[in-house]
Amino acid sequence: MKRFFTLYTLTIAATFLGCTKDGSGSVTPQAGVGGSMARFAITDDVLYIVSPQSLEVYDLANPAAPKKTASARLGIGIETIYPHGKNLFIGANDGMYIYDNQNPLQPVLLSHYRHIQSCDPVVVQGKYAYVTLRGGTSCRTGNPVSTLDVVDISDLKNPKIAFSQALTSPYGLGVYGNRLFVCDGDNGLKLFTLEDPRMPALVRTYADVPAYDVIVRNAGSLIVTGKKGLYQYGFSPDKKDLTELSVLPVQAN
Amino acid sequence: MKKYLYLLFFPLISGCYDDHGPGGDIVFDGTGYRPIYVSEEKSKEVLTKPAEPLADPGKIYLLEPYIFVNEKGRGIHIIDNTDPKSPKNISFISIPGNYDMAAKGTWLYADNYKDLLTFDISDPTQVQLVKRTPNIIPSVGDYPPHVNVYFECADPAKGVVVGWEKVSMPDKPKCRR
Repeated sequence: MKRFFTLYTLTIAATFLGCTKDGSGSVTPQAGVGGSMARFAITDDVLYIVSPQSLEVYDLANPAAPKKTASARLGIGIETIYPHGKNLFIGANDGMYIYDNQNPLQPVLLSHYRHIQSCDPVVVQGKYAYVTLRGGTSCRTGNPVSTLDVVDISDLKNPKIAFSQALTSPYGLGVYGNRLFVCDGDNGLKLFTLEDPRMPALVRTYADVPAYDVIVRNAGSLIVTGKKGLYQYGFSPDKKDLTELSVLPVQAN
Repeated sequence: MKKYLYLLFFPLISGCYDDHGPGGDIVFDGTGYRPIYVSEEKSKEVLTKPAEPLADPGKIYLLEPYIFVNEKGRGIHIIDNTDPKSPKNISFISIPGNYDMAAKGTWLYADNYKDLLTFDISDPTQVQLVKRTPNIIPSVGDYPPHVNVYFECADPAKGVVVGWEKVSMPDKPKCRR
């Protein structure tokens, strides 16, 4: 029965594929997804690039020839961009900028949430933004404090700190359902649960996996890079462990 | 108070000041930052190559079934991730000064120092550079990545600044931030 069902599903899928192919180019190619460390992001037909001081907007209507349509000067040390829904979340040394991009070619600044000077990628789920703040010399002013902050963004024009906890040297992070994955540099990959989305609770540290950037691939798997290579894991909402899928190790040249 | 603290940082980011300009309170300790140059030609040398092992992986970007892995400052690995249990490293795009990328459909966008590159990735083992958009990322390389330091002013005639090294300097250089 199960086999029959699979066959049935495949047939249906094949029919659909056939349809879309015949539908004279009505299929819009999909954009990919970046990690939270990204300076480049694509939503719809628009490429966003954050330079250290600005947000640059490029129209990809002709994908072979990006065309600049807007540029917004921001504050200091802009580092990351994370599109989510109809908003852009921009991580900077001086805080987090939230843009409305209903009109993707002309994003509008909604708010600037200020925090202490640091480096800070952002991810968003529901009414919370999860931000890692990395202190240290390369992130200005010798501020030694590193934290994982939870910012309440239910009012996008007035984001408020909800919770903060210490970390060691956080870089990228990723969120899915009740799981939050944080790259804590040489201290490894950290897995938090979000039973209470306002207060991430650390459940595991994979100390032997130095971690820099992470992408949650789908409901059950994630991709991590770090000093030792490219790691892929399976995860599940009811298991407190990750399952290693594969490792592409770094090789000394 | 917080507001004023913020203002305090502003003069610093604008970078290069004349020796007698504001911010004269930075103590010169006999060291400073010197630009590392490469030739204009070398900085724009982009090549599609067979797969190379990961060495110093940076950011990642996912466009199913491919994972793009940045090799810090050197380019992009393309990984065929059709089977996540057995990802295949299939090619390498050598791009000096590359740290970022994004992709859509059969197009890949990447930085090459200050320039934006557009690649056709229809065949990910034969990636084609189709467009270079110059100077889209201002200020990269103009100053060393530190504040309260002295540095030798960058001279565009010497090439493209690809990094900064801290060295002993007999005389206080003209630039600081």
